[in-house]
Amino acid sequence: MARSVWKGPFVDGYLLNKADAARASGRNEIIRIWSRRSTILPQFVGLTFGVYNGRKFLPVQVNENMVGHKFGEFSPTRTFTGHAGDKRARRT
Amino acid sequence: MAGSSPATGVPGSRILMGVIGRPHGVRGLVRVTSYADDLTRYRWLSDDRERRFVLRWRGEGIAEIAELIDGNEVKVADRTAAEKLINVRLYVDRAQLPEPEEDEFYLADLIGLVAFDTSGAQLGRITAVHDYGAGASLEIAGETSAIVPFTRACVPEVDIASGRVTVALPVDVTAGTSQVAGSEGRAVARSHR
Repeated sequence: MARSVWKGPFVDGYLLNKADAARASGRNEIIRIWSRRSTILPQFVGLTFGVYNGRKFLPVQVNENMVGHKFGEFSPTRTFTGHAGDKRARRT
Repeated sequence: MAGSSPATGVPGSRILMGVIGRPHGVRGLVRVTSYADDLTRYRWLSDDRERRFVLRWRGEGIAEIAELIDGNEVKVADRTAAEKLINVRLYVDRAQLPEPEEDEFYLADLIGLVAFDTSGAQLGRITAVHDYGAGASLEIAGETSAIVPFTRACVPEVDIASGRVTVALPVDVTAGTSQVAGSEGRAVARSHR
């Protein structure tokens, strides 16, 4: 069953404080979080979070398209990196 | 990757693009595991013994394969010949890959590069490039183990020719879990609606 709309999106409260602090500092920061269940809110856009996947903190650079999704969706817990082949990575 | 120096991105190295699997049917078709977007894009693929092959898809993961001998295609026509190709690894020369766009890099070029910090101290080697839909990140293992976002701020310099990247390690901020998550989260979320 989907979450009731009247409750609003779920987010662990301390993330908002950390996000505000990171934005104010203006430094090149990664906010390490364990809260994979938290929803990505518009105020997180532009920040980088290190989302724990049980083994390591994978960097998640938040953009507009990710708003409404959960942090955990971008930090898989079961991974097979595979072969590089002709895959490319873009530096943003 | 085969035939390359520790800095795997050096031009002239070969990149593993696929592996031939079991035969399919009796007419020489084989199953091919591809690590590339489209294996048929490349003029030819070579194996460990420098034999050259041309590949044409005939179905989902099923290909017709021909060996290039003196410029002529000799088709693998029966199952017995196809069985001899099981587990043959297919490579392309790095030079055959199209030039990437600006600020775009082949993973094969990045993996193996030596990472230095901004003061010139060696951090380690890039062992993996992750991309799960939230931007690429580089995993560095060695004297310092770190995963850094592949951004201009964190990786200001990528020099594939000399096999090195400069990494500005970001500051790690730990978000504690001192507050009660559930009700706190709901309250905060409601106030931000």
